[in-house]
Amino acid sequence: MTRYLDLYWLFLIQRLKTLMEYRASFILGAASTISLQAASIAAVWVVMQKVPSLNGWSYNEVLMVYGFVTLTKSINHMFADNLWTIGRVYIRTGGFDRFLVRPIDPLFHLLADRFCQDGVGNFVVGIALVIKTSIDLGIEWTLPKALMLIVATISGGVIFIALNLITAVSSFWVIDSVPVTRLVFDNHLFAQYPLTIYPRAISVLLTWVIPYGFASFYPASYLLGREIGNLAWLSPFIAAFLMFIGYRFWQFGLRYYSGTGS
Amino acid sequence: MSVIEVQELGKEFQVPQKDPGVLGAVRGLFRPRYENKKAVDQLNFQVEAGEIVGYIGVNGAGKSTTIKMLTGILMPSSGTVRVLGRDPHKQRVENAREIGVVFGQRTQLWWDLALIESLDLIAKIYDVPPARYKEVLEQFTETLELGSLLKVPVRNMSLGQKMRSELAAALIHQPKVVYLDEPTIGLDLIVKERIRDFIKKECGSKGMTVMLTTHDLGDIEELCQRVIIIDNGHVIYDGPINTIKKRFGKFREITFETAENAKAPTLPAGAEVLAAEERKLQIRFDRTVSSASKIASTVMSQMEVTDFSLSEPDLAGIVKQIYNGALDMEEK
Repeated sequence: MTRYLDLYWLFLIQRLKTLMEYRASFILGAASTISLQAASIAAVWVVMQKVPSLNGWSYNEVLMVYGFVTLTKSINHMFADNLWTIGRVYIRTGGFDRFLVRPIDPLFHLLADRFCQDGVGNFVVGIALVIKTSIDLGIEWTLPKALMLIVATISGGVIFIALNLITAVSSFWVIDSVPVTRLVFDNHLFAQYPLTIYPRAISVLLTWVIPYGFASFYPASYLLGREIGNLAWLSPFIAAFLMFIGYRFWQFGLRYYSGTGS
Repeated sequence: MSVIEVQELGKEFQVPQKDPGVLGAVRGLFRPRYENKKAVDQLNFQVEAGEIVGYIGVNGAGKSTTIKMLTGILMPSSGTVRVLGRDPHKQRVENAREIGVVFGQRTQLWWDLALIESLDLIAKIYDVPPARYKEVLEQFTETLELGSLLKVPVRNMSLGQKMRSELAAALIHQPKVVYLDEPTIGLDLIVKERIRDFIKKECGSKGMTVMLTTHDLGDIEELCQRVIIIDNGHVIYDGPINTIKKRFGKFREITFETAENAKAPTLPAGAEVLAAEERKLQIRFDRTVSSASKIASTVMSQMEVTDFSLSEPDLAGIVKQIYNGALDMEEK
């Protein structure tokens, strides 16, 4: 385990050196992330101007849910962005083969190969939104609440990563897994708002089937002191379960990996 | 115990069958049809410690598929592979520690990193003790002339420089078994020579077991005592390189283009007609018995020749002849 942490650190340093070589691209990436976030927040603001309360949720409360999903999604964005590109960048070109001839876990190698700096901006925006809304709403930060912020951030990030992993495995068969991943991933858009505003089917879907609810709505509800928020303590177990399934499925898929010619 | 043991090894791929045109593409979407293609079929061979074996065959013969099963990248469909007694796919990580791989067509290095940074990272991945790493790196810097390259990112290197870097990256952990998949592809003669020298010295002197796939007979002649030739996924020859050289090295081919349709000419001893097509005549001769000028003048005296060319037998030709049973005929 420490060996993998050491290795991750080394990969990260090399990655940052590479990024410094492409300064223009780095700056453009950061600028685009920030403007995208600004636009999304503006969209929530516009909606909440028209509808001051959404099914009993105030603007700041909705913004906290939104902040949470931004935060957990950014973990996936920073550490596991290569699950999006595995098919196009690694499998199609045969570059994936080199991960398989090295004495480290190929999934680790894939993820460590590219830390995605664009996620950092989202992380900052997400954490800032959660803290700002908690101040505006006068939430008192108790120990369990602080603990929940940490646990839910990590678990929510793992839930995002695990779901992307499960869908990315399809690239071993169809090469380009992006459409499959998108099919599942896009459901997180529901989780930008409180799940209670949706028909029951959708809230069940986002709680028990594609559980993005545990990466946003439930932990936010806990911080807001809503009773349903107690469910959020399940999130580490759900994250661990999904990751277990994802990793086993990944290993299963590797048996079917057939590479590309020559 | 042999270092590499391959028994009844097979690999099947499912190849989607596509009908032409838009309609075909749509049909393929709803009712895909697959054909099982055997890339490798009932392969058997062993490689002993310290051997450098040439693994050759025409494109699509199954070379790369075999190498990918030996390195643990692909799981065999049937049969078994053992490398140092391990199953390379099931025990991938343990196997990976002992092997070094060069894929001539793709890089193992990080495109944007300076070579030294890639090597540092690879040494860490393989857990090479720092003192040992320093020693090997110093040695490679000299033998592969990497001194001026260490600070250069791989993307700015020429093909030859890249290949030298690849070799350093693949051998920095001093593996017991080395797979070189077309290590000289696309290189000029001088660089080829250098790389062959390095392989001979580095792998030979350290007793590494090497499997080398190539399309270049020169690589084989310089480096290998033994060749395995495969065709259509089967081993068609496994034995000393000398047998092949003796049998085929002395042959040359002349192709004539003739003004009218060629009739089979009378030829001097040691020459035979390989093919007589429309206005084209292909002759093979034994250069220890006859000569190109002799053949040419004999043919020209019998028909009007517009052009002719002389060629050395290439690997594909040899493989084709062996496949057609040329070696068996020799033995009889």
